[in-house]
Amino acid sequence: MFDLSSRQAKIVFFAALAVIGFFLFFPLYWLVISSLKANAELYRVVPTPFPTMPSLEHFVRALTTGKLPMYLTNSLITSTCSASLVTLLALYAGFSFAKYRYFGRQPVMLFMLSAQMFPFGLLLISIYPMMSELNLLDTRPGLILSYIVFALPVSTYMLYSYFSQVPDELIDAARADGASDLRIFHTIVIPISIPPIVTVFLYSFMWSWNDLLYSMTLIVSDEKRTIGPGLLLTYLNEVNADWGGAMAASLVASAPIVAAFMFLQRYFIQGVTAGAVK
Amino acid sequence: MAKLELKDIRKSFGSAEVLKGIDLTVEDGEFVAFVGPSGCGKSTLLRLICGLDEITSGKMAIDGELVNDVPPAKRGIAMVFQSYALYPHMTVAENMGYALRLAGTPKQEIDARVSQAARKLRIDTYLDRKPRQLSGGQRQRVAIGRAIVREPRIFLFDEPLSNLDASLRVEMRIEIARMKDTLGTTMVYVTHDQIEAMTLADKIVVLNSGRVEQIGSPLDLYNKPVNRFVAGFIGSPRMNFLKLGARKGEGGFAVPGGEVRLPRDLSSSPVEIGIRPEHVELVGRGAPDSLAGIVTMTEHLGSDTYAYVALEGSEEMVVVRLSGDRAVKRGEPIGVHVDPAMIHVFSADGLSLASARAVALEAA
Ligand SMILES: Nc1ncnc2c1ncn2[C@@H]1O[C@H](COP(=O)(O)OP(=O)(O)OP(=O)(O)O)[C@@H](O)[C@H]1O
Ligand SMILES: [Mg+2]
Repeated sequence: MFDLSSRQAKIVFFAALAVIGFFLFFPLYWLVISSLKANAELYRVVPTPFPTMPSLEHFVRALTTGKLPMYLTNSLITSTCSASLVTLLALYAGFSFAKYRYFGRQPVMLFMLSAQMFPFGLLLISIYPMMSELNLLDTRPGLILSYIVFALPVSTYMLYSYFSQVPDELIDAARADGASDLRIFHTIVIPISIPPIVTVFLYSFMWSWNDLLYSMTLIVSDEKRTIGPGLLLTYLNEVNADWGGAMAASLVASAPIVAAFMFLQRYFIQGVTAGAVK
Repeated sequence: MAKLELKDIRKSFGSAEVLKGIDLTVEDGEFVAFVGPSGCGKSTLLRLICGLDEITSGKMAIDGELVNDVPPAKRGIAMVFQSYALYPHMTVAENMGYALRLAGTPKQEIDARVSQAARKLRIDTYLDRKPRQLSGGQRQRVAIGRAIVREPRIFLFDEPLSNLDASLRVEMRIEIARMKDTLGTTMVYVTHDQIEAMTLADKIVVLNSGRVEQIGSPLDLYNKPVNRFVAGFIGSPRMNFLKLGARKGEGGFAVPGGEVRLPRDLSSSPVEIGIRPEHVELVGRGAPDSLAGIVTMTEHLGSDTYAYVALEGSEEMVVVRLSGDRAVKRGEPIGVHVDPAMIHVFSADGLSLASARAVALEAA
């Protein structure tokens, strides 16, 4: 890794960190303070660095007058379902790739990973007619199924690498103890793989939650709309000027993800580094 | 209690044949050790017996019943793995009871059997701990306990003690010897450790690149190895080998540093002799029946001293085992006395020839 022993190296390193940190966190900071400013302060020509009179009025308005709660509920439903589905599929696929030897294993895995190489927008072009054929356009199941595209390949690969590290002797021991393959997977392998499973769930949840394109294209009815397009259509149009409301709503929309990360970060970090060090 | 029979067992991985026809009978209650160099197929054979891998060809029977296609749990076999392979998320008690739970044994009986086995192995105070909270020796006991709880007909061990440090290894070796006496179950034990094999086994199977070289009691293998491989493999330090040179009169052969006398009634022509470090002595230069050499190195182990002697006119070293208090100077020219009765003789294809030693042992 880096040699941080000299003073100069340290200064350069931390300066670089500060720059990166600024670009990462300044927009977030601006989002937070803007959402707390009253309209009068918000539209000043020279912006203030802190809200002089912080108020929650934007939050109250966003959550009470608009359709934000409905969009959030929709997103929660579709994201939870699709993350569960992805995790479930990735679990079995990853285990199969990791611990069984059969014809076509490698090509199938490569083929699946290659799906990740295409822009999601391109994939949508082929998903749209499929959904239309299946009568799943403008339905929640349709959207949930489409979301698999985002996270399944990488999720499968993450679990595959983790399962590859589960010692064969552990599986052999369970087999000698009389457990069937599925039993071994359910009672031995899954219980010792909680961190990567949580990681994969969060990862795929995040992808669906942050989606704009698919939901915008596949969902037409307002009552099934998710938070991404919901925010866009509510706040970004010619007539709207509710800047503070947009900021507050964006914050509310990011809250579940941030909360989930904070709550589960112990698992998440462990999951990401599992395998790198062991 | 069970008798295990293997007939012409073969195992291939792809095109590589790893086991090339193993014939072996393990009697009821017998303790058999598999030894052999790394990669010779010991673990593979054990896994076949356990049922973890499929036999490519051949027959395997337990108590006369063919078990080639019987799944592991139904064979009545329990295996102890080298890495312990404890289930990390289960407590000691859950680890030990897992097989019984799968078999649908009533909870009360599981508890009873687990605590009984735990008492036997002195791990009954750790039953609620997870494996990561145990020391290496304790983990090994749990692994053995997990096998005992199942009350199997046959125990399999794959190098169970190789992850332990020296003193724990001795302790566990004694533990296993005790277990062998009290349980009386048939056991098959893979090891790299000569002492484990010699002290524990009723019968040792020497394997080499997928074939059985010799099967016999520990002393049989030590005293009457059938070939050069077994002679070199059993015994520590290793047997000394000397190439035979020109014939010198009746039964005499030139070897580096002098000549040796072999019995006259050898069935075919000998090319090499072997003599164990404990069957040679350091003597003065020129003593009768001795080979001339120079001490190049000594190792003092306390109980024993090993002298490495370079024989005159050759690169070959002879290891001589001496008593621990014997002082030997490096660079000292000495003689190596070879006890003619203890010489092993080998033919060109590595087979042992009837030797004076064999004749003497037969008579005894
Ligand atoms: N699953 C497998 N696929 C291919 N080859 C294998 C497999 N398992 C074992 N082998 C090969 O079979 C041979 C015997 O392996 P095995 O593990 O039985 O050796 P061993 O005698 O137990 O060695 P060690 O003393 O090092 O444990 C080795 O050459 C090994 O490479
Ligand atoms: Mg092995």
